[in-house]
Amino acid sequence: MKKTLRVCVVIPAFNEATVISHVVSGIKKAFRNRNYAVEIIVVNDASTDETSKEAKKSGATVINHILNSGAGGATATGLSYAQQNGFGIAVTMDADGQHAAKDVVRGVDEIIKRRDDLLIGSRLIDSAGMSKTKIIGNKGLSAITYALFGINSTDSQSGLRVFSRNALESLRWKTSGYEFCSEMLWRAKQLNLRISEYPIQALYTDYSKTKGQNNWNAVNIIKNLLKRRIAELLG
Amino acid sequence: MSRYLLLLIFNLPFILAGILSILTQYKIGRASRRKLIAQLIIWLLVLLGLILAEPIYNWLFVNGLTKTDSLSLFDVIQITAIVLLFYITNRTRLKLETTERRLQDLHQELSIRLSNKK
Repeated sequence: MKKTLRVCVVIPAFNEATVISHVVSGIKKAFRNRNYAVEIIVVNDASTDETSKEAKKSGATVINHILNSGAGGATATGLSYAQQNGFGIAVTMDADGQHAAKDVVRGVDEIIKRRDDLLIGSRLIDSAGMSKTKIIGNKGLSAITYALFGINSTDSQSGLRVFSRNALESLRWKTSGYEFCSEMLWRAKQLNLRISEYPIQALYTDYSKTKGQNNWNAVNIIKNLLKRRIAELLG
Repeated sequence: MSRYLLLLIFNLPFILAGILSILTQYKIGRASRRKLIAQLIIWLLVLLGLILAEPIYNWLFVNGLTKTDSLSLFDVIQITAIVLLFYITNRTRLKLETTERRLQDLHQELSIRLSNKK
């Protein structure tokens, strides 16, 4: 089968040696027999464990960060690679295994069908399997994103996002921590990009529960978002 | 000479320097239109505050909203120091933000290039 569209799957990772090969293999398997030429990029954000080695072993292209830059910085590096190397579509996903590989493939299908620029995989359209604390935390952050930037999203913190070529070329953000999720939506809105959502399943294992954002991280995210908003007002 | 006029004379150079700095940044393409407008508004508000310092004080005094003495020479120096500090802080913040951005871009580009070489 001739692979027509080049798709780049970006996985920002920090100390994920335990699960990274499982995540990469899952993606490779899900894209098998599909009409996409897929390259999996693991952005190793200066991990202190064997993340880089494990990712390489499982067949991913690895970009090693020299300095730890946070989720926002690692995602920016991966998407910049996708843009420089002429990929038609890029997908970002978490490295802790909380995203189902089938949802990544479905995201690529959906963005082509809908002709959107940015497609967010929302865990909260159907929140089955998610703990109440996580639901409250994520809904709270989405409400704050709406209050600060006027963006209505059911899951503003989702790491599973699909980008069109147009979005890859134009979308940039300034924050480097987890708050980049909300800032990215804001920048996309400023650029008049077409944004939409599709439902995804969140797979919470004991491992991913320890790796994801907790509600204390949410406080830090809110603080940094407020800082960014004020800095933007000052010029 | 009126102390309010003295206050304006002392502070005008910092305000003009702030306005000139952002105008230059905009003209050479280092600042966006949005940044230019935001910075101009801030400096013009500071200027307006200094020009209207006397009428504002008089209004507050007449309406019983303040019982403080009129502007002293020490107040003039203190306010000038605050404006100078604001000018320095603002410039430092802008420079820091630019440097941070460039460092992030450099790190990103370096990481990609090094991975391409392997």
